[in-house]
Amino acid sequence: MDWFPVWLSLRVALLATLLTVIAGVPIAWFIGRRSFPGRDLVSAALLTPLVLPPTVLGYYLLMVIGARGPIGHTLNQWGIEFAFTWRAAVLAAAVGSFPLLIKTAQSGFESIDRRLEQAAQTLGHSDWSIFWNVSIPLAWRSILAGTVLAFCKALGDFGITLMVAGDIPGRTQTLPLAIYDHVQANQLDHANALSLLSVAIVVLLMLAFGRIARLRY
Amino acid sequence: MLKVSARKRVGDFTLDASWSSDHPIVALVGPSGSGKTLTLQCIAGLIAPDAGHIVSAGRVLFDAEAQINLRPQRRCVGYVFQGYALFPHMTVLQNVAFARPRTPRFGATTSATPPDRTVEIIERLGLTSLSARYPTDLSGGQQQRVALARALATDPDVLLLDEPLSALDAPLRRELCGELSQTLHDWGKIAVLVTHDLSEAYQIADTVVLYEHGQTTGAVAKNDLLWNPSSERVAKLIGARNILRAPIAEPPMDSIVLNWRGGRLEAARSPSHQLHATVGEMLAFFVRPEYVRLIRKNRPVTDGLRQTNLFRGEIVGERDEGTTWALFFRLDAPGTPSQGHYDLEIEIPKLVYERLNIPHDRHWEVSIHPGSIQVLPG
Repeated sequence: MDWFPVWLSLRVALLATLLTVIAGVPIAWFIGRRSFPGRDLVSAALLTPLVLPPTVLGYYLLMVIGARGPIGHTLNQWGIEFAFTWRAAVLAAAVGSFPLLIKTAQSGFESIDRRLEQAAQTLGHSDWSIFWNVSIPLAWRSILAGTVLAFCKALGDFGITLMVAGDIPGRTQTLPLAIYDHVQANQLDHANALSLLSVAIVVLLMLAFGRIARLRY
Repeated sequence: MLKVSARKRVGDFTLDASWSSDHPIVALVGPSGSGKTLTLQCIAGLIAPDAGHIVSAGRVLFDAEAQINLRPQRRCVGYVFQGYALFPHMTVLQNVAFARPRTPRFGATTSATPPDRTVEIIERLGLTSLSARYPTDLSGGQQQRVALARALATDPDVLLLDEPLSALDAPLRRELCGELSQTLHDWGKIAVLVTHDLSEAYQIADTVVLYEHGQTTGAVAKNDLLWNPSSERVAKLIGARNILRAPIAEPPMDSIVLNWRGGRLEAARSPSHQLHATVGEMLAFFVRPEYVRLIRKNRPVTDGLRQTNLFRGEIVGERDEGTTWALFFRLDAPGTPSQGHYDLEIEIPKLVYERLNIPHDRHWEVSIHPGSIQVLPG
């Protein structure tokens, strides 16, 4: 049996989660902690990947990163291929899992007692210092929960990945795509093994999260 | 010196606070929702007023016209929040060390409190043995001291305390009242204390600002507030009972003689308030319920003062207040009683209530000591 899809999927999901966390946590903090005009609109817009059909999402992504799309075209000129590579798979997984992290982390930030951040202000701390020393440590459980959810979602993305990265064996065939192909080819024992593996990874992650979340701070 | 003048609209509430104090401790007293906490937030810079100016220790913290609005970090204002707002993920030591004291340059801050200074403050407030504990493992009184230590560690010009004792139960509150007053007076700079409890304000503060529906009185020395209220409104705010009105009966001399409910009521003159009143003019005054005396029957009155301000009447209502009883007394004089169904509220100790057999003996003569009648200026 070919193990390539497993390694590819783990790598894609890890990178996608990293991307999501780096971009998502500050955004979640900003939405959860600041009021600005259009805040609700932005908050809703960030959730659309969760409710749009994955194919629709993938289609729009492809329009942007495809060879004729604005970003894809520019990258092509620098000699970087994007669509139908593992990079596109990372982007697809990140876009799909982004809302889960945002929503979970945002509610974590929102549940912090406002007076704690105000107290830090009166104690002379900059917004940057408050973010790192007060907000993050107090919302870490939510951030971690969002990260785990995002990773699991990234690991399982099918529709968006298929649209922008294709299903090229040995190049962009991720775990869910491989399972689909095995079923199509009636190789049920292979499909079975990969499915069990997927379940095992997710269950292990959830168990680990449950343990860590019991720590105090 | 702290000078506050702030207007702020929040929904349909408008704060219009204006007071200044150069006494060490000023208490903001008023019912909840009267704008006390909002004032603290304006001083600390957590909320920007719509108009006004705030000056602390010679520095302008906020001035709407000059468009000055210093950030909270640069105001040198310490804040003890209601409920204390201790960082739950830090130990007592870390909470206090988190404060960044200012450098000699005004408002600028260094990276962290030097360890020896943290330790000194923790020692001063008696927290040394607790310094490795987390806030959730502390009692309310201990949390209050940590919050105080943390706020003082920034070496602020002004310290704001929002209901610092309200989270504690009554016996502890009484104990910590004195301790807090001592700590603040030792510290020596200006502290602003928010409380809804006048007696707490009286025990801790030197001056008091009264709040009502977002409006304020100026800062008043606490003794003047209780013993010489400046107006009928202030008397109401401090909870004075028996606020009454009567016309002046004789030209004011050493005492003021009023014609109240057909009787002659003589009130001592307050030395500090000027009184320019003529005969026939209505005056507002109040009578402290605990100073109205019931005259014992079958015992001759020997004390001369007891013979002034004698009134006959009937007890028409009563309320058990634990150690004391409140009696509602209606004069026999014809006419409508001055406070609904009664004329005077009288407070007597429970012991006296029992000894005089009040439940069965309702008709009494009372005397009102002239010194206990407080005439209210205009």
